[in-house]
Amino acid sequence: MGKGGQSHEENMAAWLVGINTLKIQPFKLPPLGPHDVKVRMKAVGICGSDVHFLKTLRLADFVVKEPMVIGHECAGIIEEVGSEVKNLVPGDRVALEPGISCWRCNLCKEGRYNLCDEMKFFATPPVHGSLARQVVHPADLCFKLPDNLSLEEGAMCEPLSVAVHACRRADIGPETNVLIMGAGPIGLVTILAARAFGAPRIVIVDVDEHRLSVAKDLGADGVVKVSTNMQDIPEEVEKICEVMGAAVHVSFDCAGFNKTMSTALTATRAGGRVCLVGLGHNEMTVPLTPAAAREVDIIGIFRYKNTWPLCIELLRSGKIDVKPLITHRFGFSQEEVEEAFETSARGGNAIKSSSGRLTRESGIIGVALGVTNPLVVGWWRSPKDGTVHCATKGQAERVHLPARQWKQTL
Amino acid sequence: MGKGGNSHEEEEENMAAWLVGLNTLKIQPFKLPPLGPHDVRVRMKAVGICGSDVHYLKTLRCADFVVKEPMVIGHECAGIIEEVGSEVKHLVPGDRVALEPGISCWRCDLCKDGRYNLCPEMKFFATPPVHGSLAHQVVHPADLCFKLPDNVSLEEGAMCEPLSVGVHACRRANVGPETNVLVMGAGPIGLVTMLAARAFGAPRIVIVDVDDNRLSVAKNLGADGIIKVSTNIQDVPEEVERICKEMEARVDVCFDCAGFNKTMTTALSATRAGGKVCLVGMGHNEMTVPLTPAAAREVDVIGIFRYRNTWPLCIEFIRSGKIDVKPLITHRFGFSQKEVEEAFETSAGGGSAIKVMFNL
Repeated sequence: MGKGGQSHEENMAAWLVGINTLKIQPFKLPPLGPHDVKVRMKAVGICGSDVHFLKTLRLADFVVKEPMVIGHECAGIIEEVGSEVKNLVPGDRVALEPGISCWRCNLCKEGRYNLCDEMKFFATPPVHGSLARQVVHPADLCFKLPDNLSLEEGAMCEPLSVAVHACRRADIGPETNVLIMGAGPIGLVTILAARAFGAPRIVIVDVDEHRLSVAKDLGADGVVKVSTNMQDIPEEVEKICEVMGAAVHVSFDCAGFNKTMSTALTATRAGGRVCLVGLGHNEMTVPLTPAAAREVDIIGIFRYKNTWPLCIELLRSGKIDVKPLITHRFGFSQEEVEEAFETSARGGNAIKSSSGRLTRESGIIGVALGVTNPLVVGWWRSPKDGTVHCATKGQAERVHLPARQWKQTL
Repeated sequence: MGKGGNSHEEEEENMAAWLVGLNTLKIQPFKLPPLGPHDVRVRMKAVGICGSDVHYLKTLRCADFVVKEPMVIGHECAGIIEEVGSEVKHLVPGDRVALEPGISCWRCDLCKDGRYNLCPEMKFFATPPVHGSLAHQVVHPADLCFKLPDNVSLEEGAMCEPLSVGVHACRRANVGPETNVLVMGAGPIGLVTMLAARAFGAPRIVIVDVDDNRLSVAKNLGADGIIKVSTNIQDVPEEVERICKEMEARVDVCFDCAGFNKTMTTALSATRAGGKVCLVGMGHNEMTVPLTPAAAREVDVIGIFRYRNTWPLCIEFIRSGKIDVKPLITHRFGFSQKEVEEAFETSAGGGSAIKVMFNL
């Protein structure tokens, strides 16, 4: 029997029920175990993987075979705690680490629990996600937020964790000059994490100028516009080294394509490391041998482990500010959920947008994030009066347009 | 002025095996540079042939290195000190030594960091334009000459060079008593890697190859399991299954000592989550491999280029008997025009030839 809790309303969630089809439907919660908590969701971000599942019902070897609740980047307020839970009470504001490991296998016991075969992860089929009013989750995966951190920032801990994990595995420090391939959401959080780990110089590349200017605003020392053309690699590597003004010690490929990996392997200095963070194509054709012959190692990144406390501390102390990444906000209604995902699926400048804030309707907001196709999306609806605001390079201008009309002009 | 050495009247003309054109070796005079204060002059006694020597012979190039003018071949060597420079304290004429081929600059960041094998100014025997050591005598820095204990032969001294590649790879891959090892390719490098892995404590070692003979040599050298594989990329899933069965455990570290799409693909698929794949073999420039699924299991790819600080350890392994390289020496030749040509043909022919050794 749990402690705390409100009178029981029907729990609702955003379900992936078919290709490109999301439906807000009832979501029956499991009973509260002694080590579990019940969390009222307040902020949920949308990740590229969520969009991918929506569009294709699959991701790598994971296949959506039956309706599944979407979403995994989340934060909320504790409503009820299991009988054995000591460190949390109802009312606590927490950020959630999505994945539940088995804690019995060798990998878990070694601490590499992110690689657990039995991992149960929000919105990786067949495990339901967290774009819902409430979820039940192990208390040890709920991390209390300090007073000066918002729930939106709490939800941002999830993408930020990918970057923090990558910086740890790549051993970023005050002597590692960093190159980042791709200024999408993951590339951008990687800038922030690398800086927090002490990287002295950070250069980021992308095909899109708008993303590069966002990256510059977030603190990149240099930006380089690159092409999708393999032939341009030698010239681009030269530009990169010029802009870096020094050797590239570590490269993060946050896109994960032949071109980006080839550029990374070529641009990184002998004895350096290339971190493959982005999961693009299954098979890749890259100049592996010349890289190996310079002892440039390739480090794989899969999600994260033991990153929430550090992310929270980096945010609390102001060493990292994720708020500029939050550019779009939506409410939790059938229409808005569809709009949010539709917006992101149309593609875009993939400015990382995430998080949630209370709307007039409910407490949940999802965020659209373009991953697969370029899309210029810079609007959000004010929760106060429903007017649409245009966000361009972080500036908001009020535009009195009905939402649908605004979409057509884009 | 150096110490020791023959009187000038007795100075014979130094001869070496020169690569003078495609597939053309000639024994010709090789004028030695003057002996610096920190150098030694070594009379070569044992020189092994490496795949890279053969590659230069056959193509006059290796990766970005191109033979533009005649070059002395050979780099796996050991010999006897004949003369020492004025500042040399730890060696005297008569000492038997194994030579580490590469002279680094010791001024750049990489050298000062200890990763001197990656020095951009590296001068390495038989990597153009630096002359090799298949010669009567060479001049070399004394600090790159390692004294051999009495129970280690000069041939075993020369074997320290290929063995060093295996040792360096085992260090970078962190092989120890808990790492089950898979080796792709049972050629000379696969075999020394297997010997090194065992010396580092690897509990189980499985080796794969397309050739039955090589596999049986590997078995005799102590492989726990051997698997015959194909060159057909479609066979990867089935071969991975057989490998895991033969290992009876997970593959923690895999050494690709061949360096082809098929071997790398198999390695990346067979290695457990969180494990490491060491790319030792240098096959093709560009490779097409399932990199993403491997990265998504945090299987890291570790590059290996030659070695660093390996001679003392190799010599100790051989001295103590922890490693026995003698079975790898399958063919021996003398140093004459005819034998040099025959030796390289034998080495290039593969088959039962593992290490072809010159005795000078």
